Amino acid sequence: MEENEHSIIRAVLSGNKEAYGTLVVRHSRAIFRVAFRITGDEADAEDVVQEAFLIGYQKLQSFESRAKFSTWIYRIAVNCALNMKNKRKPEAAYQIADDADATQHQVQVADTAPNPERLLLSREIEALHAGAMQKLTATERTAFVLRHMEDCSTEEIAATLRIAPNAAKQAVFRAVQKLRRDLAPLKVNA
Amino acid sequence: MNHLTEEQLIEHYYEESPQPAHIVQHLRECNRCAETYAALRSDLDAIEPIAAPARDAGHGAQVWRSIRDFVPTYQQKQQRLSQRFSSLKGLSFATACSLLIAVAFLAGRQWENYQRPPQIRTAANNPIRQPIVLVFLGDHLGRSERFLVALRHGDSGESTALVKAEAQDLLSANRLYRESAINSGDPAFAAALDRLERVLVEVANEPDDASPARLAELQKELNTDGLLFEVRVLRSHVQDEQEEQQPAAVRTLGVLI
Repeated sequence: MEENEHSIIRAVLSGNKEAYGTLVVRHSRAIFRVAFRITGDEADAEDVVQEAFLIGYQKLQSFESRAKFSTWIYRIAVNCALNMKNKRKPEAAYQIADDADATQHQVQVADTAPNPERLLLSREIEALHAGAMQKLTATERTAFVLRHMEDCSTEEIAATLRIAPNAAKQAVFRAVQKLRRDLAPLKVNA
Repeated sequence: MNHLTEEQLIEHYYEESPQPAHIVQHLRECNRCAETYAALRSDLDAIEPIAAPARDAGHGAQVWRSIRDFVPTYQQKQQRLSQRFSSLKGLSFATACSLLIAVAFLAGRQWENYQRPPQIRTAANNPIRQPIVLVFLGDHLGRSERFLVALRHGDSGESTALVKAEAQDLLSANRLYRESAINSGDPAFAAALDRLERVLVEVANEPDDASPARLAELQKELNTDGLLFEVRVLRSHVQDEQEEQQPAAVRTLGVLI
């Protein structure tokens, strides 16, 4: 597979532009997944996918043959997502409540499921999780997503975010501490 | 008994503790830490991976269609070489001179090695740089030093675009000097230039609209303070080498005459 990808890259660099499409098809969904996890927004994640593959194409000459294309493009995408996240202002976290209250950032959710109470609770938990994730800084969120959801090691996170391993570790620690603090109400209600 | 810190417990949860056996042993013996760890584990287990909206099998093709018109076709290698040569025009005069000197230096060294008998070649462990190369190398290191200083004071100093342009400008020359250092058997020098190159690559690849704050953040992340010191030391070595070579050349001339 890797050797195949290297031959595809050689083909692209020799003038076969269309060969790059094979790489895009092969990796786009994985890139979209991590982009969505970092940005938390579908449209932004799609933009990140496009931007990452564009940058990947432009920098293809600097791609080193000993590396894996998947890892290389993944790192580009994570950085694009991080930049995107940095550009966006933190969004207000909305909670789901019985009565809508704009001042408290609460909304009502339409009852569409057969078991409304359970669904409502589940959505409330989901909203709390999403809100807690939104409160993290872009670096903390990215480091946490890579560590907790993408199973990257501290070394990999550091290499991806181009920071020192200790800084990557601290970003994960801070994220865990903040998330635990923000999700504490769930434990009280449980 | 010293209790485990939250950081140690988080490390242990992600199986990255440097002493896992010690942590496991401590958790067996200490109820307080065991309870803290159980709570942490329960909290982290409850955070499920964010499920991304599904994308069908045609997603990749769609992405490719959306970008394919914006990417140029790479040319064949031979054409690329000529293009690169012609792109030298775009480089600044100083960089172009540095490149030419470095290429001449490399060619000279190769020729010298080819001409020299084998027993002398193997004895050449401490490469002596040519005076003209030392001048350009000194200039390159000086510029790199100024670049790192500008990066450090990114918030108040030069604009981001200027810092980025300088990084791009220094990058090609730095590659040649690094190659040259490797070929001339100077691994320490090559390693330092390699570290410098990584910083240059990072800054050169930042988006055009990167904020000064982003550069400051990058500077912190890359820990360029250590590198700045290293570059200063290298530059002073190169200066010393220059000073040493000058009287030596005069002396040699004296003997020859």
